[in-house]
Amino acid sequence: MLAHWDTPETKQKLHRRIYKGIPNSLRINTWCKLLQVNRIKFENPGKYQDMLKLGKLWSTDVRQIDSDVNRQFREHQFYRERYSEKQCALFNVLCAYSIYNSEVGYCQGMSGLAGVLLMYMDEEDAFWALAILLSDKRYAMHGLFIEGFPKLTRFLEHHDKILTKFMPKLKHHFDKFGLDAILYSLKWFFVCFVERVPFSLCLRVWDIYLLDGERVITAMAYTILKLHKKAIMKLNDMDLIVNYIQVKLHKDFGYDDDIVIYHLEKSMEELRRAKLDYPGPPPPNELPQRMLGVFVEPDKKSKIGQRAENFSETEKQTRANVILRREKAALELQELRVSQSDTVSVLPPVVV
Amino acid sequence: MTTAPGGTNNFKVVLLGEGCVGKTSLLLRYIEDKFNDKHLTTLQATFLNKRLNIKGKRINLSIWDTAGQEKFHALGPIYYRNSNGAILVYDITDEDSFGKVKNWVKELKKMLGSDIVLIIAGNKVDLEHERTVPLEEAESYANMVGAKHYYTSAKLNQGVEELFLDLTREMLEKYEQNSQTEVNRTSQVLVVDDETPVQSSCCSGTKSN
Repeated sequence: MLAHWDTPETKQKLHRRIYKGIPNSLRINTWCKLLQVNRIKFENPGKYQDMLKLGKLWSTDVRQIDSDVNRQFREHQFYRERYSEKQCALFNVLCAYSIYNSEVGYCQGMSGLAGVLLMYMDEEDAFWALAILLSDKRYAMHGLFIEGFPKLTRFLEHHDKILTKFMPKLKHHFDKFGLDAILYSLKWFFVCFVERVPFSLCLRVWDIYLLDGERVITAMAYTILKLHKKAIMKLNDMDLIVNYIQVKLHKDFGYDDDIVIYHLEKSMEELRRAKLDYPGPPPPNELPQRMLGVFVEPDKKSKIGQRAENFSETEKQTRANVILRREKAALELQELRVSQSDTVSVLPPVVV
Repeated sequence: MTTAPGGTNNFKVVLLGEGCVGKTSLLLRYIEDKFNDKHLTTLQATFLNKRLNIKGKRINLSIWDTAGQEKFHALGPIYYRNSNGAILVYDITDEDSFGKVKNWVKELKKMLGSDIVLIIAGNKVDLEHERTVPLEEAESYANMVGAKHYYTSAKLNQGVEELFLDLTREMLEKYEQNSQTEVNRTSQVLVVDDETPVQSSCCSGTKSN
């Protein structure tokens, strides 16, 4: 199949085969094919090395990158030893990328993405794979990692919409404890479920994500909550719920990988029929505004490492959004309670 | 802050501060008495619980640990909303991280006023010889903004227990003061409580909890 990648027969079979799970020995080649790593690499000869050189001279993110490399996948044999070959590769990829995409630079979370890619690819391939995940429209992760995280806001709103429609009781349960979706789902969106579901399942989701793009994240988020709704509804405390979703499900998802993928596929179909599979294409502010791969000298402030005194306009917007979202949820809850207590104590019952 | 039926007081505490100043390490030292310089990056806020007794009162602390990279600070309100206490951590060998503490203090004061107990922690005192944040400056700043200042080392287990204990005492005091004034002001507020088991069980399956 890999040898005849572009034939119509392969394209037909691909969906079935990938949903069944890519055999680990073929994963590297398949991922590179799905992401078209070779194409972008050959179109940009020498670019990675240039970016890396510039990164080592100029990147203002090296400190954060170094400290995150020190904390990424340290249980994995590749990353166990400080300054091992793979740790250095991880540093290099992130350092080069911070110059390649000057709007993003480095954002926490990217070490998780690059860390997974490097488990399968060499340094240069992993760099280009990361570049594609951020800027190709199928994945468009750029909008997640820029200032103010506009894509996160948009996808979380969509996620809430799905909950309201398909699992209103669960949504109500979350709101009752003031549990904003950010508190349990950030890593789902930022690093495609790394360290939130067991690694074997995470790889299966990555296989499908690389094939079908961002719809997969939305559908998987829905699937996780659907499969664990009953258990979560029994937890009557914000801390317990967060612990269940963040920690328990990572240790033990409670379902076989194949079953989860079966439900994921069903969820995708269900959401597609309800026209809720996709929050829509990225607005311009989520796409790279500057040319990628063009070196921009860091300004004086970031060279010195000075921290911003105030939030930027974009950040203020993000803050306003999160506050508004909570207030809205609290208000809805209050209205619901009022209408419920009406039906309990006042006769005749209020018709909603 | 909520009071569970058994009389346990639940307090929410949030750890804030720049990346790599040792927020997670402080928390792990306090809860599990461990120090590990290989722990994970805190990208998504996580929390740990600690139960303790103060003045015969049972207390449960939910301590939230947050991402340190500056980009994530815009999400702050999600984490400090409804917090009873905040621990603002800086690294005594990194002056900029102390500057960031000042920003957090400003923001918390603006958003929550004096409803929240503030503690400033100068972490990594095991690196005393590399100190760049002057002792007097940190202490007088804390004094000025009405926060307590602690020196800690998660690595050597210094000052950590004291910090959390003191914070809890202050939160308890503030809570008792507030509930006193609340009772004086309006007593009916207390009726509207999730904990009350009197709710009718007739409709929609919403159980009291």
